[in-house]
Amino acid sequence: MPNQDAAPAPDPGRRMSRRSLLQGAATAGAAGLAATAMGAAVSQAAASRRPDLARGSGPGQSAAGPIMVHVRDARSGDIELFAGTSQTRIHDQDLAARITRALNGRSN
Amino acid sequence: MSSHREAPEISKDPVADSTDLYAFVSPDRKDSVTLIANYVPLQLPAGGPNFYEFGDDVLYQIHIDNDGDGRPEISYQFRFRTELADPDTFLYNTGPIESLRSPNWNRRQFYDVTVVHGRAPRTLGTRLACPPCNIGPLSTPARDYPGIAAAAVHDLGGGVRVFAGQRAEAFYVDLGSIFDLGDLRPFQNLHTTFNIPGLKLAAAPGVNATSNLNVHSIAIQVPISSLTRKGHPTIGVWTTASRQRVTLWDADKGENVNSGPFRQVSRLGNPLFNEVLVPLGKKDQWNSLPPADDKRFAEYVTHPELAGLLPVLYPGVFPHLAGLDAAKKPRADLEAILLTGIPAGIVPGFTNFTGTVLADMLRLNTSIPPTPASQASIYGLLGGDAAGFPNGRRVTDDVVAIELRAIAGVTYALVDKSFKPDAAAGQLTDGLTPASVHATPLGHFPYLGIPYSGYDEPS
Repeated sequence: MPNQDAAPAPDPGRRMSRRSLLQGAATAGAAGLAATAMGAAVSQAAASRRPDLARGSGPGQSAAGPIMVHVRDARSGDIELFAGTSQTRIHDQDLAARITRALNGRSN
Repeated sequence: MSSHREAPEISKDPVADSTDLYAFVSPDRKDSVTLIANYVPLQLPAGGPNFYEFGDDVLYQIHIDNDGDGRPEISYQFRFRTELADPDTFLYNTGPIESLRSPNWNRRQFYDVTVVHGRAPRTLGTRLACPPCNIGPLSTPARDYPGIAAAAVHDLGGGVRVFAGQRAEAFYVDLGSIFDLGDLRPFQNLHTTFNIPGLKLAAAPGVNATSNLNVHSIAIQVPISSLTRKGHPTIGVWTTASRQRVTLWDADKGENVNSGPFRQVSRLGNPLFNEVLVPLGKKDQWNSLPPADDKRFAEYVTHPELAGLLPVLYPGVFPHLAGLDAAKKPRADLEAILLTGIPAGIVPGFTNFTGTVLADMLRLNTSIPPTPASQASIYGLLGGDAAGFPNGRRVTDDVVAIELRAIAGVTYALVDKSFKPDAAAGQLTDGLTPASVHATPLGHFPYLGIPYSGYDEPS
């Protein structure tokens, strides 16, 4: 049954490279939550999967929307990635460490 | 209120806050059902210069369950988009708005409608125009406004029509008294008043707290045959609003950026369910869940806090209800009305039972024809009118009185013939009627009245 409010299963096709994520995180420079507008291709793919939800977005959000990175726990590498109307969750200690170093370098 | 600002979190997010839900067989088109979900509560009509609107970043939905599992078989989705013609003026409009295409109208909203029925979403309409807010005689001339709003009723084919925009608030309730520790003005001479020195309350008429306020309505009219399963005329209806999981304030652009999947932040089925039955500590959680999960809230229905309060607040007025409370018998009547529908054999000739799954949905037996206005009872089923609440909900139904009376024990006699309701239970009211609403409902889709103008209702 259709329930667009229900949590979707992680979509392997939605995974992004660690390098692109790190670049995005460093650009945004937010502690714990980083955003960048680099995700055009990814967001368009997300939009094509769920056109009902991606279409008609409000001001400041286009089909080529941002990628959001939420480092839930830097120590364990628990990271959530958001783009368009999709999300995925990865565990990558190395990526989390690099994001943390990038943030620390920026604040220094 | 029915569901205005009913939970701590959603009270901070008006554009996603559902206020009322209506579901009824269309009186002027009896082969169709009209579903109306109201959002953006308590709008002062003089809300300029940034007049009220839907949230572009909110996913609004109206859901229909037609197999009794508390999950949607059919969902209508509404997504809005605001367009600004001239960003270099502070004005909503630069002259009178005489039509939906008026060049004087600077900030307007459009929306897409999608139906999700099965796996593939299907777009029913795109870039559908909302009407303007009703501002005043110069901006939205009274002679033009009804026509402009009528033009914002869109026929989507297949017998489906939609409207989304500002309307007059049709719900009536004496909030000022009710949330002052359960005071009902017509009966406040009987209230305990907590023995506050010098406080003496005389019985008084109700005061409509939502008088002359507006809301934003999403209304859709759909053929009954496209919502029901053959041989199963009862549907369950609810509305939800959802937001994307991540919101980031883009300080450079001065706007929010959103990302991630949508998650439900607001829900409404039966009026007053979350507002009056669910305790404060669980209201936000309730708003995030589907009706199918309502078993976890059933205890607040079968042992409602308000039923225990009434005999305390009104000493000596509800002795039979006090006895029922003391016996700790589960309120099977309320469970049927709100969570399963009423099984056959309880009310002669009537049922809107959908099965044993406990789910707060507004249940409508679509096989029951609308009652002519001259014969309709604002007390719905309690008034012998099976076309009214809790069989769906019409615009003028007095849901406050109906639910007060039910909770006070009037309906318990339906499931326990030995129970005699208190005399006062059948008279409970906050003292209001549809006449407390100044805007006249329309006799046709979208049924809710013309919104009040800011010029006419400035405060």
